[in-house]
Amino acid sequence: MHPFHPSYVFTVLVQLFPYIGVTLLMMLGTVIFGGAIGILLAKAKIKRRIVPRAIAEVYTYLTRCVPSIIMLFIVYYGVPALLLQFGININNFSKGVFVITAFSILFASNLGEVFRAAYLAVDPGQREAAVCSGLSEFQAFYRIILPQAAVHALPNFSNMLVNLMKEGALAYSIGLIDVMGEGNLLIGRNQGSYTLETYLGMAIIYWALTFVIELIFGRLEKNLSKGKKHATSVA
Amino acid sequence: MLFSVKNVSKAFKENQVLKKVDLEVNKGDVVVILGPSGSGKTTLLRCIDFLEKADGGELDFDGIHTDLSHASGKTIEKVRKKSAFVFQNYNLFANKTALQNVTEGLTVGRKVPKAEAIEIAKKALDKVGLSDKYDSYPVQLSGGQQQRVGIARAIAVNPDIILFDEPTSALDPELVGEVLKIMRDLAGEGTTMIEVTHEMKFAQDVATKVVFMDGGVVVEEGTPKEIFTTPKEERTREFLMRILPDFNYSI
Amino acid sequence: MKLNTEFMRETFIASLGGVPKTMLITILTLLVSIPIAFAMALSKLENKKVSSKFVTAYVSFIRGTPIVLQILFIYSLLPSTLNHLIKDVFGLSVNVFKMNKIVYAIIVFSLNNIAVLTELFRSALGTVGHGQMEAAMTVGLTKRQAYRRIIIPQALVAALPNLCNTVIGLIKNTSLAFLMAVQEITAISKMKAAAGYYYIEAYLMIALIYIIVCTVVQLLFALIEHQLSAYKKRLAV
Repeated sequence: MHPFHPSYVFTVLVQLFPYIGVTLLMMLGTVIFGGAIGILLAKAKIKRRIVPRAIAEVYTYLTRCVPSIIMLFIVYYGVPALLLQFGININNFSKGVFVITAFSILFASNLGEVFRAAYLAVDPGQREAAVCSGLSEFQAFYRIILPQAAVHALPNFSNMLVNLMKEGALAYSIGLIDVMGEGNLLIGRNQGSYTLETYLGMAIIYWALTFVIELIFGRLEKNLSKGKKHATSVA
Repeated sequence: MLFSVKNVSKAFKENQVLKKVDLEVNKGDVVVILGPSGSGKTTLLRCIDFLEKADGGELDFDGIHTDLSHASGKTIEKVRKKSAFVFQNYNLFANKTALQNVTEGLTVGRKVPKAEAIEIAKKALDKVGLSDKYDSYPVQLSGGQQQRVGIARAIAVNPDIILFDEPTSALDPELVGEVLKIMRDLAGEGTTMIEVTHEMKFAQDVATKVVFMDGGVVVEEGTPKEIFTTPKEERTREFLMRILPDFNYSI
Repeated sequence: MKLNTEFMRETFIASLGGVPKTMLITILTLLVSIPIAFAMALSKLENKKVSSKFVTAYVSFIRGTPIVLQILFIYSLLPSTLNHLIKDVFGLSVNVFKMNKIVYAIIVFSLNNIAVLTELFRSALGTVGHGQMEAAMTVGLTKRQAYRRIIIPQALVAALPNLCNTVIGLIKNTSLAFLMAVQEITAISKMKAAAGYYYIEAYLMIALIYIIVCTVVQLLFALIEHQLSAYKKRLAV
């Protein structure tokens, strides 16, 4: 059995560190595009008009049943082949585009749920008071409802972000060189002699990222709930 | 005549909550609407400020004339800029301080410059006795204090009419007094008010017109003296007997 | 848009052959992970000093790292470690490498699922008020009886929606078992796709199968929930 060199784990951490950026970039892209779709989904479900709502429900249902790797394969292998039939060649697009597309489609429903739950958690009376004070619906939404909904969204959003990061690790299978991708390349280059150390290093990086995400959002939630803290005396 | 609604109707599913209700208000009137729960009084108030969409009826308000069921967004905004609403559950903006709650309607709703808005807001908060709470958040205030901020928020925008939806119902008994005092002061200054309430004494002492509603219709209306001492309708009498233990003795 | 429907039909039928394996992995994983997760949840709720700290660390680690990493980790290291253990430590002449790969799949998914279920059970048990246990004790039940007859049935109903989500998550995770050379749904269709270059058709079919399996699972859970929460409905008059 291979000997274990704990010190090599540090070497691994140093070599993988730059690739954290790729992981984070993928997450950012997904949140932006997935979030855009998610807003549409949340709106459709809140507004209750039958057709948009049905589409949103079906979309959410389908995307929640499909495993991430399948969606990744569909987008990476399937869509280019399909588009080739129309004479469009997208095989040269960077891997990141496929990864962000696949995960945006998948996580749009999660994001949509986070937004919807956060919006519904705000007392309808807040909106009523705002419009009665002379604010337009738009102003009421941006100045009163959104700030309060954002605070409610934080814990769920942070959960979703961690899940996204973990599912995103699958991107290595289509060749994306993020922490996971580089880690596997490293193992290959070392011809299997430092496998344990490398995997440990990768695990530590992901664990640390999870920790950091939860820390940041925990702080954010604390700072933004000043309107909600049960302060000193309620005489 | 400043304000009137005619033929207001509203149904929730199969329940016809309002059946062609009329209400007329003159400048300086303090109109108190009384009635058992389910009589439609809160719904009427909410329809007036378009918090509920009435099925039918018309609104006439200082030059604005509109159909309650088909009002345009612009008309609704106009009505809301000339009126103010005080809620049973205060509905203070949770993410803003007391001062900010009051300036919101001024700066954002009516484009008043910030400095001027702050001045007005402070005066309003002083008037309701909360000079030391400008920077407090709603969660740091008692129910009575929150409602007073709600009233400050309403008077700061200098509305033609203030609508009160059971302003003291959610308050602990010992906090009701402070809110009623402010409302009496407002009434004394000639503020036009429509109030839905259970506070009979307030109605007797301060109202200029009392409207009794039951089952979605206005059963009777008149001056407090007329309603409380010589009610014409049987339903009115029954209601008063239940609510006022000493009814039979008041002359 | 031309889709090779003949290929789609073939792939669909071939992939269905992977469904039993998928369900086998799922069910065995659940059977293994549920009791262990339950014990872990209890140890956290009852605040047992040492084990509760271990549970926290374990859950945090598993939930903080991607499952694909866990799979690669176990799959590349476990066989040789087991081999070393069995051959050199215990001196048995069993060929570990001939063992059915499905065992590794179950091990990895169980380790992962235990962490998820521990949190789930912890919160579900938490929703049952302390008063229930207190009442059970005063009436003369032992702790074990209390759990079995009073607490768990109530916690179960609270846990069902999340449990359903977890099972669906587990089924989706099994799609990664192909990394361990297990011939489940994904592996089969991947092979077919590569063989005929009909990628989109193959993967769409896989997606379809997962959607069907998901739906069946959700219907099952809806049924179970309906049965188990009957006691709640009678209270609503």
